[in-house]
Amino acid sequence: MKVYAETIIYLIMAVVSLLSVVAVYLAIVERDLIKAVIYSALQSGFYAVLYYLLMAPDIVLVYLPVAVGLIPGVLIVLISKTERWEKE
Amino acid sequence: MRRITELVAILSLILGVSVLLVLAASILLPGIEVRQLAFFYLYTTINPWFQNYTVNSPEAVTAIVWDYRGLDTLFETSVFYLALIAGLALARGLFSETPQGSFNEKTHGLTTIVKTVTRVTAPMIIAVGASIGLHGHLTPGGGFQGGATIAVIPLVFIVVYSTLFLIARGVTSNKMLVLRSIGLLGIGFTSIAAFLIGLAIGRFAYVFQNMPKPGAVVGLPADINGALISGTLWFFNLFEMIAVAAGFTIAFIILLLAGRGGSGGR
Repeated sequence: MKVYAETIIYLIMAVVSLLSVVAVYLAIVERDLIKAVIYSALQSGFYAVLYYLLMAPDIVLVYLPVAVGLIPGVLIVLISKTERWEKE
Repeated sequence: MRRITELVAILSLILGVSVLLVLAASILLPGIEVRQLAFFYLYTTINPWFQNYTVNSPEAVTAIVWDYRGLDTLFETSVFYLALIAGLALARGLFSETPQGSFNEKTHGLTTIVKTVTRVTAPMIIAVGASIGLHGHLTPGGGFQGGATIAVIPLVFIVVYSTLFLIARGVTSNKMLVLRSIGLLGIGFTSIAAFLIGLAIGRFAYVFQNMPKPGAVVGLPADINGALISGTLWFFNLFEMIAVAAGFTIAFIILLLAGRGGSGGR
């Protein structure tokens, strides 16, 4: 039974890391910078799940406020001072 | 089509690197000395039968960060401080904190619903941050984590209420710099607390000493009236929390005020 639980955790980790790659891709190709910031925060959320499953709750606690709260906030403020759309 | 090809290429690259890493991890194992070090840290982090070596903290990560490897963390804190000083120097003259006009509840900021929700959730976020920081020696978390959680509050208030609100309530970058310096001074004094006690009573003690060690019997108390504080760890976490929260607030104030002639974001 224990072996199954471990396998399931590894499977969740694999799925979450692949989803984080997709989020990074979307953040890079997105032309609307606000949406790109949101995709980047989504990727950080997936990373936080990964850190939790890798048994590093200390990192989760520093990662969530910084990567989901502070950095998107600062980036959105900076975008509001410059331009919202990325040029070719 | 091109996007799908790009995505497949990126995915296959990452999967390939992951396979390489797994293969490398099965070959390149850390040596036996490193394992003994980890065993020693976990064995001594809270061990009442090993009084001369223990840290008296059930949270091994905080014990390693602030006790076994305390000097590393001190330098990390000073790097963060220097980055802030550089930011202040860069933004010098670009922003002024004299409010242009007073804060008006009706015209500034977002709608009443958002403001009310912010008012209700702000004390909760501060309480969570304080509990993360001040219980850092008992549960996962610590000064930086707690400080970063508390620093979300000024950002939310700037977005929801406008910077004028913060400045009108006295949250200016100079005051935050003072708070930040108090935190750093506290970290400095905590790191030499055992040494100063040793000087006062004429016993030998190390800098960055926490619990009594063989040959240096001076140490800080592990608990106050039965409540575990793990000697210096609680004080380090408290001062680091203050310093980090104030430091992030300075960064936000600089970023939001710079380049608009001091009028601030709406």
